[in-house]
Amino acid sequence: MPEPLEVLLLDDEPIVGRRLKPALAKIGCAVEVFENPEKALARLQEKEFKIVVTDIRMDDIDGMQVLEFVRERWPESKVIMITGYAMMSLAREAMEKGAFDFIAKPFKPDDLRRVIAKAARALGYTLDFEAAAPEGG
Amino acid sequence: MSLIAISADSYPQGLDIAQRTAAALGYGLLGRELLAQVAADRGLPQEQLVQALEETPGFFGMRTRRQQELLLHIQAACLERLLADNLVCYGLGAHLYLVGVSHALRVRVLAEPQQRAAELAALRGLPPERAAKLLERQDQERRRWSSQFFQADEMDPAQYDMVLSLGNLEPEKAVEIICDAAGYRKFQAMTYSRKCLQDKALAARVLAKLMPRFPDIRLQASDGTVVAQVQSLKRDQRKKQEAVRELASQVPGVSYVEVQVIRDYFGQAAQSGR
Amino acid sequence: MTSIPQNQPPAVGAGGQAERTRLAERAEGIRRALVERPRFSLRLQMYLGFLAAFILSAGVAVALVYNFHDMENKIRFLEIVNDYVMEVEQARRFEKNFLLYGSNLSDALDSVFQAEQILTRNAGELAAVMGPGWSQVMLPKLRGYQALLERLGRLQGAAGAQGGPARQDLQARVRKEGQEMVSAALALLSKEKASLSTTTRRSRQILIYSLALLLVVLVLNAYLLGIRMLGSINRFGEYANRIAAGDYTPITPSRRYRDEFTDLALAINAMIQELENREAVLIQSHKMRAVGTLTSGVAHELNNPLNNITLTAHVLQEDYAGLSDAERQEMIADVVQEAGRAKKIISNLLDFARETGSQLEPLDLPHLLQETIDLAANQIKLLGIKIQLQSSDNLPRVHGDSQQLRQVFLNLILNAIDASAKGGKIQVIVVPADEPNYVAVKVIDFGSGIPAHILPSLFDPFFTTKGRGKGTGLGLSVSQGIVAKHGGRIMVSSQAGQGATFTVVLPVTTIPAELGEGRHPEPANRAKA
Ligand SMILES: Nc1ncnc2c1ncn2[C@@H]1O[C@H](COP(=O)(O)OP(=O)(O)OP(=O)(O)O)[C@@H](O)[C@H]1O
Ligand SMILES: [Mg+2]
Repeated sequence: MPEPLEVLLLDDEPIVGRRLKPALAKIGCAVEVFENPEKALARLQEKEFKIVVTDIRMDDIDGMQVLEFVRERWPESKVIMITGYAMMSLAREAMEKGAFDFIAKPFKPDDLRRVIAKAARALGYTLDFEAAAPEGG
Repeated sequence: MSLIAISADSYPQGLDIAQRTAAALGYGLLGRELLAQVAADRGLPQEQLVQALEETPGFFGMRTRRQQELLLHIQAACLERLLADNLVCYGLGAHLYLVGVSHALRVRVLAEPQQRAAELAALRGLPPERAAKLLERQDQERRRWSSQFFQADEMDPAQYDMVLSLGNLEPEKAVEIICDAAGYRKFQAMTYSRKCLQDKALAARVLAKLMPRFPDIRLQASDGTVVAQVQSLKRDQRKKQEAVRELASQVPGVSYVEVQVIRDYFGQAAQSGR
Repeated sequence: MTSIPQNQPPAVGAGGQAERTRLAERAEGIRRALVERPRFSLRLQMYLGFLAAFILSAGVAVALVYNFHDMENKIRFLEIVNDYVMEVEQARRFEKNFLLYGSNLSDALDSVFQAEQILTRNAGELAAVMGPGWSQVMLPKLRGYQALLERLGRLQGAAGAQGGPARQDLQARVRKEGQEMVSAALALLSKEKASLSTTTRRSRQILIYSLALLLVVLVLNAYLLGIRMLGSINRFGEYANRIAAGDYTPITPSRRYRDEFTDLALAINAMIQELENREAVLIQSHKMRAVGTLTSGVAHELNNPLNNITLTAHVLQEDYAGLSDAERQEMIADVVQEAGRAKKIISNLLDFARETGSQLEPLDLPHLLQETIDLAANQIKLLGIKIQLQSSDNLPRVHGDSQQLRQVFLNLILNAIDASAKGGKIQVIVVPADEPNYVAVKVIDFGSGIPAHILPSLFDPFFTTKGRGKGTGLGLSVSQGIVAKHGGRIMVSSQAGQGATFTVVLPVTTIPAELGEGRHPEPANRAKA
């Protein structure tokens, strides 16, 4: 068993965290879930997560700020943006600011797993992507 | 990893830039050769495909509906190919249907006007002044063509990520700028933009299939789900819905079809006698 | 999602069928009221006026003709009498000569004969003037005189030159008779002269009076026609102004009879109805545009519940076997809850988008405004704008069409959103207006503001400063139309760079009985024709 890949997941929709935490755990991710961006930033301040998954549109602090913060604090980390408000301009802005990938809601757990696996590869990890899906990716 | 769609007001000069860019980046070039394949695959006359890309619908020309259909076939085939990354696309109108795909860098190349006039003069055997006049007309026609089929003005710089004027830039420099821009993070492919492209490709494929029978159809696709809107009179609503569903389901990649019927009030009014 | 737009005309809505029938019935009622009046056309009035003048003139002419005829008779009679008098006087002169010198009696008799001839020749004329009894008066006298003269002649022949007493007597009788005859003839002459001058005076008077009367008739005619035409023209001028101001109340009958202006009123009513239909289409199409603006916000907002459902369903599918019953239950509950949330997100908008017939009802403005704000909530959230609703307590209700008023406030809020920078603030305030029986709704933003030079054209149709394809410039124009229909006004105050305040003033409900009557709540200026 390789050492688990540490993932921080931030989305103000609680159901997203509830579903994705076990779903990502299956491919060997240790997921910390946050619904409050402030708390997530506080946590990111003190600990490096290899992968950060964040929603963009949240009430007080938006995902772009989280992205900027992570790029600053942990340049190695890969930030994956997920948003219900996908638009070309937003996507380009996120990429410009250094996002690793950009996913539009609604997405399937596999979509995110695939992206995380790709990010992990870029980081030099190998994840067992197949482990997740009994019926195949 | 990105796509570059080049549009130019002079075909040979744009082609030159497209070829050089592809070579410089090591990308593939997707150009008019595709039309031969579209013609072969779908049983369409190749000259007509070229014509559909170049000519404004007119009184004597091709029927608008037919032209729309041919353009949809080209669009479907082109988008299909573009799913493979790292391509330079030229001469297929891709700049008009790649709108909203964030990793497609859309570039407009403006030819040196005198050279453009000279090209035209040579091609048609015209004196240069006449050629310059004709160019103006051509631009007007292009404008009509693009707004007719793609609801956009091809001449409008706002349509593009970048406009380069060969009157002020050497071709080498222009290619350099394009390659440079293609490397920006902004234009990198991502899950979302690839999905956009896939959805567009699917929508075009389904539309090319449905258009001949349902000319007023509107269509959206997402993840294999197709939502179509057709106009219909109340009484043949069911039949029409079934027919659309049936036909759309035959397209590979379609997993679910939803057909919304927009009541055809004009038709209804016409039928009811006023 | 991706879309490939095709050329397609926008669908025209067809809801509000019952409303339309009701309106059509009302229009038909007004039409009937206009038409079912006794007809008294302008043309008829003109004909009657001229006819009266003509009859008057004809009467005058007849009277004059009659009078002239009378005068002619009198002059003729005078001539006859004159001739007669001359002959008689001649006879008397010869008589005198005869008496003095004993000569020419036959001449006197000749003159008497002439005089008699005159009388008998003009018997008709004389009878016409003096009545059939004339011959009893003149002829016997003449004959008596003639007889006397003849007797005198005979006496002369028998008794020589100087006469006896019998002759004296006869001479005296002759003189007397002759005298009487002449004075009778002269009296007749002067009487007839007087009568002739009366007749002349009479024709003069007839002329003067009838001229005055004709003047009165003509003036009266012109006056009546003028009142009628100018009054109607002024009324229609007022209607035109009213229609221009957006009040589409049809013209209703205002007089007891029907005329050409009724036809004009009918034509104007038809025009009003057409205008109203078009305005309704305009309002609806602008509403659909607002809905279009809102859908982008809604579509994005929908993605959240959709994502929750997608994730949950996939996890459920993947791990079904490995999950405990409680976990499955929880996931299913999540799906149900998120589906409900999705439904709620769109139901507001769908409700607003639906084309309903206009329905007047007492409305609670703060509630209505909250609903409107909810409609735009996703848009507002998307741009990170804060919106605040304040209302005074116990506001009276206003009487209006909730859909249309919601559209007005939505237009104002969308404008405010457009003007505000990301993260800006919008205030919506409902308070009693300064004037009694009105409430004011203020939509305040702190955005770009409106430069003074464009303020006057703000409410013009198609006036927009937003780019091509971004604004139609119909928002404020449509809103103003709706508010005017409700008997209210929209006002704007702004300073460039400091934001703008749009104030909608609406009358409060006073007469709930108006409800069923119609869609125009201001009974004050009902049109009349
Ligand atoms: N709150 C505001 N602040 C600044 N300018 C405003 C405001 N509201 C309206 N305007 C100005 O008034 C113009 C007309 O507004 P209107 O609502 O009639 O049309 P629009 O908003 O341009 O188009 P549409 O309503 O169809 O989107 C706008 O283009 C804008 O310039
Ligand atoms: Mg507006």
